[in-house]
Amino acid sequence: MTAPVLPGEPLRHADEVRSGPGTYVRGKSVVAAVMGHARTTPAADDADDKRPLVEVIKGPVVTGDATGRGGGTLLPEVGDEVFARVLRINPRQVWCEIVAVNGKAVNDASGFQGIVRQQDVRATEIDKVDMYESFLPADVIRAKVLSLGDQRSYYLTTARNELGVVQAKSPFTGEPMVPVSWQEMMCPSTQVKVSRKVAKVD
Amino acid sequence: MSAQRSFVKKTKAGRVMKVVREHYLRDDIYVGCELATEEYRGPDQSTWKLSPGASKFIVIDTNVALHQLDLLAHKSIADVVVLSVVLEECRNRSKSSYDRLRSMCQDPTKRFFVFANEHHRDTYIKAEPGESPNDRNDRAIRVAAKFYQRAIPSKRIVLLTNDRGNLLRAKEEGVDALSVRQFAREHAADAPELMDLVAGNDIDDEDVAAAAADDAPSAKRIFAEHLSASQMAAGIKGGTLHQGSLRTGRFSPWEGYVGSDAVGGDIMIVGRTDMNRAMDGDVVAVELLPESEWRRPGTKIAKPGEEHKDDKEDDKEDDKENETVSLAPAVAEDADDGSAVKAKREDGVVPTGRVVGVVKRNWRERGYAACIDLGPGAAGAAAASRLLAVPQDRRLPKIRIQTRQAAALVDQRIVVVIDSWPADSPYPEGHYVKSLGKLGDADAETAAVLLEADVDDRPFAPAVHACVPPLPWSFDERTHLQAQPHREDLRNLRVCSVDPPGCRDIDDALSCRPLDDEGMPGMLELGVHIADVTSFLHPDTAMDDEAKRRGTTTYLVQRRLDMLPKPLTEDICSLRGGVERLTFSVFFRFDAKTGLPVPGVEPRFTKAVIKSAAALTYAEAQTMMDDPNDTSPLANDLRRINACARSLRKRRIDAGALTLASPEVRFEMDKETNQPLDVGMYVTREANQMVEEMMLLANVASAERILRAFPSHALLRRHPTPAPRMFDPLLKACRAAGVDVDVSTSKKLADSLDAAVRPDDQYFNTLLRIVATRCMSQAVYCVSGAHSVNDRVHYGLAAPLYTHFTSPIRRYADVVVHRLLNAALGLERAHASLQDSEALKAVSDNINVRHRNSQMAARASVELHTHIFFRKKAAETEARVIRVRANGLIVFVPKFGIEAPVLFDDEEEEGDKKAVLDEEAMTVTTKAGKTWKVFDACKVCIQIEELAAGRSRLAIKIL
Amino acid sequence: MEYVSLEGLRLDGRRPKETRRMRCELTALPGSDGSAVFELGNTKVLAAVHGPHECRRPSERLEDRLLVKCEVSMAAFSTGERRRRTKGDRRTNELSTFVRRCIETCVSAELLARSQLDVSIQVLQADGGVRAAAVNAAVLAIVDAGIPMQDTMACCSAGYLDDTPLLDLNYMEEGGGGPEVHVAYMPQMDRVVAIVTENKASVDVFERAHELALDGCRVASKLMRERMIEHAKHLWAMRQVTLRVKDDETGDEAKPISMET
Repeated sequence: MTAPVLPGEPLRHADEVRSGPGTYVRGKSVVAAVMGHARTTPAADDADDKRPLVEVIKGPVVTGDATGRGGGTLLPEVGDEVFARVLRINPRQVWCEIVAVNGKAVNDASGFQGIVRQQDVRATEIDKVDMYESFLPADVIRAKVLSLGDQRSYYLTTARNELGVVQAKSPFTGEPMVPVSWQEMMCPSTQVKVSRKVAKVD
Repeated sequence: MSAQRSFVKKTKAGRVMKVVREHYLRDDIYVGCELATEEYRGPDQSTWKLSPGASKFIVIDTNVALHQLDLLAHKSIADVVVLSVVLEECRNRSKSSYDRLRSMCQDPTKRFFVFANEHHRDTYIKAEPGESPNDRNDRAIRVAAKFYQRAIPSKRIVLLTNDRGNLLRAKEEGVDALSVRQFAREHAADAPELMDLVAGNDIDDEDVAAAAADDAPSAKRIFAEHLSASQMAAGIKGGTLHQGSLRTGRFSPWEGYVGSDAVGGDIMIVGRTDMNRAMDGDVVAVELLPESEWRRPGTKIAKPGEEHKDDKEDDKEDDKENETVSLAPAVAEDADDGSAVKAKREDGVVPTGRVVGVVKRNWRERGYAACIDLGPGAAGAAAASRLLAVPQDRRLPKIRIQTRQAAALVDQRIVVVIDSWPADSPYPEGHYVKSLGKLGDADAETAAVLLEADVDDRPFAPAVHACVPPLPWSFDERTHLQAQPHREDLRNLRVCSVDPPGCRDIDDALSCRPLDDEGMPGMLELGVHIADVTSFLHPDTAMDDEAKRRGTTTYLVQRRLDMLPKPLTEDICSLRGGVERLTFSVFFRFDAKTGLPVPGVEPRFTKAVIKSAAALTYAEAQTMMDDPNDTSPLANDLRRINACARSLRKRRIDAGALTLASPEVRFEMDKETNQPLDVGMYVTREANQMVEEMMLLANVASAERILRAFPSHALLRRHPTPAPRMFDPLLKACRAAGVDVDVSTSKKLADSLDAAVRPDDQYFNTLLRIVATRCMSQAVYCVSGAHSVNDRVHYGLAAPLYTHFTSPIRRYADVVVHRLLNAALGLERAHASLQDSEALKAVSDNINVRHRNSQMAARASVELHTHIFFRKKAAETEARVIRVRANGLIVFVPKFGIEAPVLFDDEEEEGDKKAVLDEEAMTVTTKAGKTWKVFDACKVCIQIEELAAGRSRLAIKIL
Repeated sequence: MEYVSLEGLRLDGRRPKETRRMRCELTALPGSDGSAVFELGNTKVLAAVHGPHECRRPSERLEDRLLVKCEVSMAAFSTGERRRRTKGDRRTNELSTFVRRCIETCVSAELLARSQLDVSIQVLQADGGVRAAAVNAAVLAIVDAGIPMQDTMACCSAGYLDDTPLLDLNYMEEGGGGPEVHVAYMPQMDRVVAIVTENKASVDVFERAHELALDGCRVASKLMRERMIEHAKHLWAMRQVTLRVKDDETGDEAKPISMET
């Protein structure tokens, strides 16, 4: 077990080690800049600087770094495939909360918001889209990140066959409904059909 | 450990708020006795105050602490545990009791130990639901007593309480509890005086029961019951009652006034019943009587018997004493209702009311000087244990006391404390504290004077003396000049001091140097040199604390009560002739021609060392100046200074400064017997005025200098501009005398006073000035930040700014000003207290009080010696009428500065033939047909009338 | 009013050189990036940090360093009398400026150029020493958020009443009108970051109060340090758990991690 360190705490002499993430050099010392645990990694064999690297690792990283981007928070980027839960709806757009990016769950606290605008719901007849016929709150949709959007939300699109509602609950029984066409889903118990922009799932 | 204390409080605005405070409980509070076990006694030996040799330790409850202080102060009482809950409650209930208890706790011989029970983990208790705060505190005291039993099992712990419930419960809980009287009885063998010191309203026992039986027939209610505090508060808020501080007149003891804004003036209260046990200075609630019962203010001088007429126990002889003979007061505040506003109706009837409750008593903790009443009403006084004491202060009623040493006290001047005044008692109940000495004895009477004026006459504590540099002190080049580069060496400057004869605390000296040789022909450099007291008196020392407390030196006729220890006062700081002394000097550049300061040249302040050429008296200085043959350099200096002083004086008077007069009396004392040989008014010479003028100049310069450096923290002396109504007595007298006086500005007043001369009557003008002076309030010290520019003028001197700088040996205000100047000149860092408005305000308030008290004491001392003087020989002399009354005159005797009432002889014999008083014209016509008018001169005979038991009174008769 | 009895106890039973009981808690609000509660006796302050994130207003963006925004609000119930407090009154403005300046000094602002850090401070209960508690809470929240800093920081007040220097004034004592000195101090760098005095103090009084406040900072800092270490250990334990879970999922062998002791 290692000792935890606090910001401002000197770790090693600056001549002995290289300052890595979470540290800085003050005078002759490498000093911790964040709270966490210090880790020393030996330098790579081919590196010019043979000093080992000292870094301070913060606490847990709940969301993995499967995207290959550096650790820390999982950020959606343009083109990423996301799953989102519909929160709110009006005739021009739906607001949703992004729950997973590229198959990885997003930390609850991050709470990225996404918006699917009317023109991004489907590829054809985009001016005739009725938002209420396409989504309803609590639906889970598969979408792609279209742009970083405005200050609050990512703009998402479902204008492809494999994108759209992947899960919706029956308005009568609350059971998950089954897709019957790209425009309809059916309640398994009542056989009532409800319209949605349905994703084509493999 | 900690607890929360939470309570609900009503704010001033009437809203209810919850207050939560943290309350930490500790385990490092110790019991203060080495007998306790390690855990309880703590490691610090200096806290082990309780003596292991004591027979018992006493725990007192709040009521004992509040009411039995005289008993606790007795020397046989020691080793007392004072709980913090008791102290706290004591402080909330009575500040003065708290201060006194605190000082006992400080006294090392008393061994009073303060135990912070409220913060001790084992003794802190929470109030039970439904338990009143009082009950909770009583329980806390019992818990603490039990704790002591546990902590110090080897000692008897006694809980002293006068509360019956508390006593019983304590016994139930196994606490050894006693009432105060039981306690005193237990100690009767070794300290019999203790019984006398027990303050009234004790809960037990046969003594009281017996006394109650005695009183049974007279136990009928004499006074109306007082309203409760909440009833009074409601009434005052609702406007049906009026609250104010009661002032009783000096000449009519049973007539009082309470100021009320609602009525637009004073409410008069007449008679014993309506006064309803209120005394002078008490804050009372007054109810207005129906308008039909309103009365005229008394125009009579209190006659024998009047004030006690419903009091059968009183006898004539005793009452005669109530005609007051006293020295004339100097200013308005000391005079009786002269300045009172009266919402008078046409017929002279004023709003009249009666006291329905006392909001706050003004009873003095330190007690009242009194003597035992020996009238027939108090028959067999020597044997009785319940006696009446007659306070020296005539504004107070007699006080009933219990004592077992009656015989010994009969001819003694004693100190008595008032405890209570029940509704069924004609007199307040009190107890005897101590004896000051034999009645009529100069020392005992002086002690009484000091007690009445609250002047401290105790010698200085060793800690204070330790602050004085060792004698013989002398000036030293190295420490005073080389180590203090700012100090100028003025030993070659010709300096002299001018003071009254016999003055030993010389704090000012003067110098004058022509600047012709320095290329400034016709210029003079005037120097005022003041003793540099602050070089010896440093802040935060025992000496400074003591001086701050005393505030001023008090001059009695035969004694001086110093503010600073004698070596400083008379030697080290005194600017005696021929010795080198440190000074704080201020130089002014004067134009010899005009005799005025050169405009644009700032006064220069500096620390210096001088060697006074001569310490002159006023008379000597005057002789030197007047003698044309004396051409010594010193005489020339004095003449030059005097010339400047004259010009300054003229300029000041042109600006509207008032020449006021107050009767100052001087005794020629016999050096050996300390008996007064002769008495007379103080003679002022031109030399006096010269010194006074120079001092004014230096004071004004200091005021300007400190105000510039400390705009909001300068200590100034202000003399408020009197309100127009305050001049009413003067205007009335002037109208009667046919003189015109304009009081609209000080300048006009000064001019019209100058004009009011009677060619045939030299003294008339002075008399008028005395009356005018009395209309004004006294000058007071203030902190500049608390007053606006207009508010801090000195009216009498017509100066926009004034302070005291020139007498640091005898006034603490000057010490403060010196320190401020030191800081302003960058000589030392301003001490924290000088930069703290609150602290400075406290200092200035205290010196105001001390100054007043000291003047009171000085006057009382003169009065006392006047008695002694007239005891030897009666005198016939000139007197002036200063006020007329329906049954007599109030006359002023210029020669002795005495103001006293003179009754017309047997004017009461025939009801229809009364003396006629004309208030407007201020005349009174006796039935013999003689008309007296204000300012009239008359011949009087002054003599001492010897009364029983060594008492005397000054009797004045018109010849 | 007697603030220190002759027995040397203050109104609430402390001795002159004692602070009140301090308590702190990190990650008090999981929804923010970093948060902490700091209690000083009955005074309780909650601080939450959001960011660093892109500047809300591009005009405010600083090209060379981090923009720190600090907002202080007093809860309506924070004092004995319930009062709805308007935002941005003089007192809270002054307080937020003070906290912001302190934070700007202790974070490595140049590392986070062109971004913004929001610090919200909510005074839940005010019983004296609000300024010190607010700074301490903010510092803890920033540590919790993992913002790089030069050093931690602690703040404490001292005053001077009844001729005695008093550490950590409570509400009653602050009402005493005596001089007050607030000191913010970085313990590792041994550097005083900010001093604020209230009411007039002479130089020697100031010096004594300042020394005492500095001692108070050391005490506070020690306590905060203990609490942060404890928190770091807790986080570390959680990380180990997550790592293991992840490794199990992927089936990979756990990589050996060498740790500095």
